[in-house]
Amino acid sequence: MTGSVVVGYTATDTGADAAALGARLARSLGATLHLVIVLPNEGTRSAAVPPERAYEEHIRGQAKKWLADAIVRLPQELTRNGHVRFAESFAEGLIAAGEEFDARVIVVGAAGGGIFGRHRLGSVASELLHSSTIPVALAPVGSAQQDDHVIPRVTAAVGTRPGADALLDEAVALAGDTGVDLRLVSLVPFDVPPGLDTGALRVVGDEHSQEVLAVASELLPDGRTAVVEKAPGDSVEDAVAHLSWLPGEVVLVGSSRLAQPRRLFLGSTAAKMLHELPVPMIVVPRTRAEAGVR
Amino acid sequence: MSSTNRATEPESGVTTGISTKGLRAGAVGVVGAVVIGISTIAPAYTLTASLGPTVAEVGTQVPAIILVGFIPMLLTAFGYRELNRVMPDSGTSFTWGVRAFGPWIGWMTGWGLIAATVIVLSNLAGIAVEFLFLLIAQLTGNPEIADLAFNPIINVVVCLLFMLGATLVSYRDMQTTQKFQYVLVSFQLVVLVIFAVVAIVKAVSGEAPEPTAFSWAWFNPFEVPSFSAFAAGLSLSIFIFWGWDVVLTMNEETKDPDRTPGRAAVVTVIVVVSLYLLLAIGLIMFAGVGTGALGLANEDISANVFFALSDPVLGPLAFLVSLAVLSSSAASLQSTAVGPARTLLAMGHYGALPKQFAKVSPRFFTPGYSTIVSAVVASAFYAVMRLLSENVLTDTILSLGMMICFYYGLTAFACVWYFRKQWFDSARSFFFTFLFPLVGGGILAVLFVTTLIDSMDPEYGSGSSIGGLGLVFVLGVTIILVGVAIMIWQRIKRPAFFRGETLGMEAPPSRRRR
Repeated sequence: MTGSVVVGYTATDTGADAAALGARLARSLGATLHLVIVLPNEGTRSAAVPPERAYEEHIRGQAKKWLADAIVRLPQELTRNGHVRFAESFAEGLIAAGEEFDARVIVVGAAGGGIFGRHRLGSVASELLHSSTIPVALAPVGSAQQDDHVIPRVTAAVGTRPGADALLDEAVALAGDTGVDLRLVSLVPFDVPPGLDTGALRVVGDEHSQEVLAVASELLPDGRTAVVEKAPGDSVEDAVAHLSWLPGEVVLVGSSRLAQPRRLFLGSTAAKMLHELPVPMIVVPRTRAEAGVR
Repeated sequence: MSSTNRATEPESGVTTGISTKGLRAGAVGVVGAVVIGISTIAPAYTLTASLGPTVAEVGTQVPAIILVGFIPMLLTAFGYRELNRVMPDSGTSFTWGVRAFGPWIGWMTGWGLIAATVIVLSNLAGIAVEFLFLLIAQLTGNPEIADLAFNPIINVVVCLLFMLGATLVSYRDMQTTQKFQYVLVSFQLVVLVIFAVVAIVKAVSGEAPEPTAFSWAWFNPFEVPSFSAFAAGLSLSIFIFWGWDVVLTMNEETKDPDRTPGRAAVVTVIVVVSLYLLLAIGLIMFAGVGTGALGLANEDISANVFFALSDPVLGPLAFLVSLAVLSSSAASLQSTAVGPARTLLAMGHYGALPKQFAKVSPRFFTPGYSTIVSAVVASAFYAVMRLLSENVLTDTILSLGMMICFYYGLTAFACVWYFRKQWFDSARSFFFTFLFPLVGGGILAVLFVTTLIDSMDPEYGSGSSIGGLGLVFVLGVTIILVGVAIMIWQRIKRPAFFRGETLGMEAPPSRRRR
């Protein structure tokens, strides 16, 4: 038993993207797939609208139908379930479902939709990235149309920011459980204080790469290898854009990587990276370890 | 690899359990319910729209009419509560009407509800537009901006933008927190109390344009000049309490279903009635009931009296009133738009209307199609009325009162008829399923017929007329006839519903042992 995969589903293209990625992860991990629709309590999220149980029942019935339709469309060899949940917000309901099903990853579609175009991160995804203690996988637009792959390799973008250990652990676990190799991309050059000369930078970078590689190699099960790749570029987004990817690969990123200190729009870097990346991104929260203790 | 063969799938694939955090976070307490009630009634908006027309009908007897108008509302609301208890359904009046009287009358009951809410949406947006311009004028100190609101083209365009905004908010089910609603409602109440108190003080100190001495006789309903005036005033005062019943029908949704709805209903009514009485008395004392420049019966200002009176009463602080009405209309737009959308959804669901109406937005879980349709109809209604009527707001409010009497009355009768086998089960069911709704429905029926007959007079309402008949009458009859026409068309297209196959008639048997 390797936990489960929880998909935040809606009967939209975004939801189909999430379901497709969820199915891919679940198959690679041999995990159970749970499609979850989170509905607003009493059918509304506005405090000005009188709550109505009858309407809640109505959308519950509709949501069940959507889930049943989605489930039949997913590969039959997967163990998959649908669940309707009620919560104040979609993200809150997903996190609760993630805890309930002991999920190792929560999958949502990344499309923001609406008038601001497809490069904006959806509000659900943003809220999840802010508050989830479970890794969040963002399915890029069009995931549902891609060929079905089993994950061929796991890439992790590691640096020295808080949470790097949790990220490395998660990457190793994911590679181990899916039975694939691990590729590490060092982001140290972006984490050092600006103004450091290039020579020192290279030394620090190489040292860090070797350390991480040693830890990863030790943790990985026998037969699986870890490699380190250098990412050239001026920024994280730039660096990941120059990497080469296998079809179906996923990349793990620490959540602190996306959050500029004291900036509200955590989602903006994520959205930029999503735009550059041809592969799904899994954001690993730095509070992962603490969540386990609680 | 993937399959679409549902037969091979286990039936129990979808669960709907409650998450591990099993507590119902949405349960509403007394304060929450009162806040919902007050934001649905939207006292600031309701009074500015209805005080003028009411004064025009009954003169100084407005306080009496406000008190009397509450009676049919209360009696009917009891019927609503009983129906909601046994048949909770988002179609409300429509579903109950069908269950009691069958598809035809039920369809028309639903139509009445939709028509009434669509009319109020357009009126609400119309009032909001006027106050938007007034607010800008007050804040910039340039009174000419306020006059822009009366340019028909600017007015219609801005009003349509308002409707668009309100539709987006409803369609996306924008999250508003309880705290935000508390602030909005408190702000509204405080501003209105200040407004009324200052008006009274100025009237007493003789600073008012037409100081009118207060008299207890204002509370005497028998001093209303004629029965027609009485009926017209009543149907307007039914409008000012309209929406109050949501407090009573919230049962399971509250923290303590036995006590919360009752307490919340009482508190809401006391708050709203005191506020209405205070404001009505204050403004009558300040401006009088004449047709002078600021008189409440002056046709130029009566459709929106706060608009004309906020400056003379509050001077530099008048913008607070504009802000209160604007925020009240905005809050009400969302809760009001929910009504017709959900009824249309239920009608689509039961096959009384095309299936598209039953569509729920997969992203926002709102009745998307129905919301958009009702917004489009309300916008079109407003635009047409603006062209036809000399005073669009007055005429829409008067026809609204008529439509509310129509569908509330039918719903009250539906309650009486539906429970016909249970009337004598207990004293409780005698009063709540028979006597109260019967009397309430009877009063509403009389009001409806009286208003219909009186409004044939071309001088009724704003004095606009079509073919020698008053515009309000033409409107009311047209709305009902359009409903009948669409119903017949649906009968041809979708006979199943009209044969009672999707939603049948019913009368729960008596629970007494014989």
